[in-house]
Amino acid sequence: MSDTLLEVKDLCKYYKTPKGALHAVEGVNFSIREGRTLGVVGESGCGKSTLGWTVMNLHESTGGSIFFQGEDVTHPTKAQKKVIHKSIQMIFQDPFSSLDPRKCVSDLIAEPMKVMKITRGKKETEQRVAELMDTVGLARRYAFAYPHELDGGRRQRIGIARALSVEPRFIVCDEPVSALDVSIQAQILNLLQDLQEERGLTYMFITHNLSVVKHISHDILVMYLGCQVEKCECEELFRHPLHPYTKGLLSAIPIPSIHVDRKRIVMSGEVTSPINPKPGCRFAARCPYADERCRSELPQVEEILPDHFCACHKVRELNEL
Amino acid sequence: MSLLEIKDLTIHFPTEEGDVRAVNGISLSVEEGKTLGLVGETGAGKTTTALGILRLVPEPGEIENGSIVYKGKDILSMQEKEVQDIRGNEISMIFQDPMTALNPVMTVGDQVAEVILRHQNCSKTEAQKRMVDILAKVGIGADRAGDYPHQFSGGMKQRVVIATALACNPKLLLADEPTTALDVTIQAQVMEMINELKAEFQTSMILITHDLGIVAESCDSVAIMYAGQIVEYGSLEDIFDHTTHPYTIGLFGSIPSLEKKVHRLQPISGLMPDPVNLPTGCCFHPRCPYADERCAQEAPAAAEVSPGHLCRCHYWETVRGKEAEDNV
Amino acid sequence: MAVKTKTKPAEEDGVRLKKRSNFGEVWHRLRKNKLSMACLIFLTVLILGIIFSTWITPYDYTAQDLMSRFQLPSAAHPFGTDDYGRDLLTRLLVGGRYTLLIAILSVAIGIVFGMIIGALCGFFGKWIDSTLMRIMDVIMSIPGMMLAICISVALGSGVFNTALALAVGTIPMIARQLRSSTMLINGQEYIEAARSFGESNFRIIMTHVIPNTLAPIIVQTSLYIGGSIMGIAGLSFLGLGVQPPTPEWGNILNNGLDYIYDFSTRWNVIVFPALVIVLAELAFNLLGDGLRDAMDPRMRK
Repeated sequence: MSDTLLEVKDLCKYYKTPKGALHAVEGVNFSIREGRTLGVVGESGCGKSTLGWTVMNLHESTGGSIFFQGEDVTHPTKAQKKVIHKSIQMIFQDPFSSLDPRKCVSDLIAEPMKVMKITRGKKETEQRVAELMDTVGLARRYAFAYPHELDGGRRQRIGIARALSVEPRFIVCDEPVSALDVSIQAQILNLLQDLQEERGLTYMFITHNLSVVKHISHDILVMYLGCQVEKCECEELFRHPLHPYTKGLLSAIPIPSIHVDRKRIVMSGEVTSPINPKPGCRFAARCPYADERCRSELPQVEEILPDHFCACHKVRELNEL
Repeated sequence: MSLLEIKDLTIHFPTEEGDVRAVNGISLSVEEGKTLGLVGETGAGKTTTALGILRLVPEPGEIENGSIVYKGKDILSMQEKEVQDIRGNEISMIFQDPMTALNPVMTVGDQVAEVILRHQNCSKTEAQKRMVDILAKVGIGADRAGDYPHQFSGGMKQRVVIATALACNPKLLLADEPTTALDVTIQAQVMEMINELKAEFQTSMILITHDLGIVAESCDSVAIMYAGQIVEYGSLEDIFDHTTHPYTIGLFGSIPSLEKKVHRLQPISGLMPDPVNLPTGCCFHPRCPYADERCAQEAPAAAEVSPGHLCRCHYWETVRGKEAEDNV
Repeated sequence: MAVKTKTKPAEEDGVRLKKRSNFGEVWHRLRKNKLSMACLIFLTVLILGIIFSTWITPYDYTAQDLMSRFQLPSAAHPFGTDDYGRDLLTRLLVGGRYTLLIAILSVAIGIVFGMIIGALCGFFGKWIDSTLMRIMDVIMSIPGMMLAICISVALGSGVFNTALALAVGTIPMIARQLRSSTMLINGQEYIEAARSFGESNFRIIMTHVIPNTLAPIIVQTSLYIGGSIMGIAGLSFLGLGVQPPTPEWGNILNNGLDYIYDFSTRWNVIVFPALVIVLAELAFNLLGDGLRDAMDPRMRK
């Protein structure tokens, strides 16, 4: 497709640890079209944040390739790095630790512009900062406040303004609302949606919260222990989850209504260690349907239904396809 | 008679900058074997209320007013020694963060046994035996009792914390966001376990949470807290199907639904008020779409919407009518 | 558009904006600590006295007056005179110049090198860290005074050499402290954020890491200055460091100590220098303690 902004093929990222290789991301494939949102869901330790960092080139990938606007940027040259820094920005999870406590709001927002030398002169920078504060709904009187004086929602707005300051096309949102209260969370989600509509931004939205991801995403990628488990359109995933893990995950969400009658699939066990993983499907240890083959052979991602990808040996059998 | 009855509980923290008014005259009751959900956002005073019940409000907090009647006796007027006998024995607490609630240099078995030894008159071997039993109940085998907390995962640690809380068969369990730090699938496991054990031991529970989904699954009645007050109080049905207070409505509007496709969320505008500097009149009026002059001046009393369903709003009838219209 | 004036914080949405800056907040809390404030006032008076000593006393610090040896305190000589009839107050004030200069210089040298080494180790880790830290460990394994004695014997006396001799011992301590705080800051998301804008490592260290480690270092500085005063006095006492007739608190005391056999009539040559050393040291330490309490984020609301 011509309007594909980012494409990732067989991306792997291993970390060296004293106990062995930590397989944080293993063989992930996806592409994001301009102006869309890809939701990346998974439990803690499934490698979703690492995926974000690797895509942003903050951590170098171990294998696979990343294409940005059709160009291979897996091992970027200096010139490519500049383009990436300018086009891809990140919104961080923790609005407390992602802002330097010694800098005031306007300095924080201006930082990327200063580093990339986008604005000329103090005046222009100040004006841009003021505009950005308006955009994200931060009153200008906070320009000289310090982060510790502000609440989580406002701090996250600073993070968003900072990411927007270099006018990126693609923003990696790493759990941007997880640390916020529900009412503030909704404000931030609406802001992100508005910005997308106004500016045609493309998001990669990393979260563990399924209701949030459903609300904001067009496509969803489900990860388990570094591996891609399922990927399809948002509506499709919630209507017809194929992978046993996705099914369990969906049924585990508590629904705020007293008229829901559903059977919960409680998954036994816990996430196993991603260090030197055993061969076979990563989910096999917790999967009620796992057999010999699942424990010995890593399932490949296949297109089971049109545009619906799933990595499971028994997906056809389980879903009667 | 209810197991626990709180009346007009007020807890303030005097500081340099003024009084932090964390809890401002809340009244609630917990029936035997039932679960009350205490819902609210950060800073609403939920945890302070729970700590107040155990008389564990941290310095410089003071319980200024009110009564906490447990089994007919006021906890607030008891001797410290009596309260110590109740803590961890009759009323016990599950803390939010399992990572910090356990002592890292004691084995989990010893930590559970310690509570039993402190409260039940029994020998060491007897305590050991009961420790193994209770660990088994939360799904931890006897072979792991000698392990240290760092050898457990987050979900397993929370199980240990729950085992500690249940070790003496408490009558009342205060669960302070017991699953917030856990992943969804683990949360489902832990909540299911809590509910099973609660049914088995006939324990009452106050479940503190910000997740209305968990409330819908586990609670019998709900109290919605805002700025140290209970703004709406009622049965599960009252709150979920006959939502009356504008704040509660706002909370529901803020949650992205898994069932309906909503293009935009309807968040509550503005922020939680500063507890040092609470707004006059109704605390919620600066953020309330229905607020007018009267709300800014006069604090609303709790109105009885229907038997047992209380709502602190001057205009609950208008709000209700409007909501009914919107839902049609 | 955005006017660079601090507008008076308005109260809105129930959120109060504090007027005070970080520094203002620390100052506000420090002011409540009476002991620290007393120390601060004492040190200010002392330093002012040292700077303006020429105007305070009419005597020259080398002017000998053998007719008035060993005078006890009087209106003419508030602290009395020493064995050469020199005014003791003048000598202590002038000596303070050298003592404090060396103390501050040595701590400054220690901080600059310690910070560079610590930041490098904490930020880059790996072989840089292990190499530099092992060197620091070697230095740390030698008792501080011993090290200072060895270095000043090797380098000879003089203001700068003495400062350097004392600084070497403080470098590893500051480096260790900075290394651990750098590692802590390195894990924070704002460093990751800075990387995502393409900031260079140098810029990250200069604009994010160092400013955030400064608070504990400032506190340590006042403690180290106290320690340095003792160190200098110790070196001078041993005949190293600053040589007579240049006055320095340590050698003034050393000089006075020769007359301890006659303490009842010549007590001033011992008591006053000792008192100045002890009080200055104590004041710096207590001020450091107060600063630490005032800067501790846990003390903040």
